[in-house]
Amino acid sequence: MKKTPERIEKLAAEYVLGSLQGLARKRFERWMMESAAVRQEVWFWEQKLGPLSDEVAEVNPPSSVWNSIERRLWQQERHTGKAQSRANQRWFWPGWSIIATAAALVMAVLLVQPSSEAPQMQLSGAIVQAGIGDPLWLVSETGRNNLLKLRSVAANAAEADKDYELWIVPEDGQPLSLGVIAVGGVHQVTLTDTARQALSQSRTLAISLEPLGGSPTGAPTGPILHVAQLYEI
Amino acid sequence: MSQTDNDQDDLMRLLVAVSREDRDSFQQLYHMVSARMFGLCLKLAGQRDLAEDALQEAFIQIWHRAREYHTDRGMPLGWMMSIARYRTLDMMRARKIRRNDGEEQLEYVEDGREGPLDESLRSAGEAQLSGCLNELNDAQRDSILLSYYKGLTHDELAHVLNTPLGTVKSWVRRGLMVLKRCLEQ
Repeated sequence: MKKTPERIEKLAAEYVLGSLQGLARKRFERWMMESAAVRQEVWFWEQKLGPLSDEVAEVNPPSSVWNSIERRLWQQERHTGKAQSRANQRWFWPGWSIIATAAALVMAVLLVQPSSEAPQMQLSGAIVQAGIGDPLWLVSETGRNNLLKLRSVAANAAEADKDYELWIVPEDGQPLSLGVIAVGGVHQVTLTDTARQALSQSRTLAISLEPLGGSPTGAPTGPILHVAQLYEI
Repeated sequence: MSQTDNDQDDLMRLLVAVSREDRDSFQQLYHMVSARMFGLCLKLAGQRDLAEDALQEAFIQIWHRAREYHTDRGMPLGWMMSIARYRTLDMMRARKIRRNDGEEQLEYVEDGREGPLDESLRSAGEAQLSGCLNELNDAQRDSILLSYYKGLTHDELAHVLNTPLGTVKSWVRRGLMVLKRCLEQ
């Protein structure tokens, strides 16, 4: 379906209202990832309809909610007592020269509708860069066959004699290579059970710049260009 | 009731700190806005356990995505309230919540008198939307407000309003477009 201004206008309103559902909602969320114009339209409606929420009475949530949030965000750290396990420092392992992480931020638009075919949670996200309206890559995991898909949207080819290499950044230990990724089209990787396990725990991917053909050592050797956090859908 | 500029400044300051993973600020932020967000989750879901789960999900998301906030997305509170609303809608859909408890009341909506919408919410909505709801006919207005406050889907609207699905869809769609033309003025 083409993204005409009329469709964007109509669907964005219904998306924010909540009446757009199922596959149509999923498809629209993909449009949001792909297009700044679509996101602008959604933000328009969020701001216009938002004041309706002002009239809803406040209700104090039980303390168990905050406890659960704390537990989910920081449980591991509490167990290990290591500051290094903080989510934001996960990928600062020694020896990596990180030159562009400040510019790389994760849009990670949540694809929120759980798939009826696959009860298992799936991960999804986007690799974006500040100042560029479209995401560089969209990442999604398919429920079957441990398949991870990376669709390139606005990514530019690596400089001559270089390749982009995709990594899973585990909670602990060395990054796992998922191979060199091409720019253009869809890149698919079948995850081993170990890789799937690591990714489902850390939910973190990174892309580094490597010599042609990928890192000769099996560990990242070049600068980390992007780090992306994935989310469950 | 709207947040003062000071409140919004405080929220902005906290959100910036949260984007740097400052946990104390995150907790302060939670204490400042959780009751408002929870009220909205509860209003939509009509169930405490679901509303609690949705609130939890919303704050997990705020923690991870604070750095993505920017002013094009509205004021900080509005951004967070939107997140709370989406997470609640997701959970309602995921759990296929049937809002049977409200259906008896909902049947009165057709008359345009008593309904699942408190009269206070309806009139407050009109004030908040700069009177633009008055541009809509009753059916359009109630369909939109029922979707907004109760999270009713097209199918559910058609059921409770005892109206064909196509008609309900067109009430919502045309109503939203009328609303937009008015809000843009």
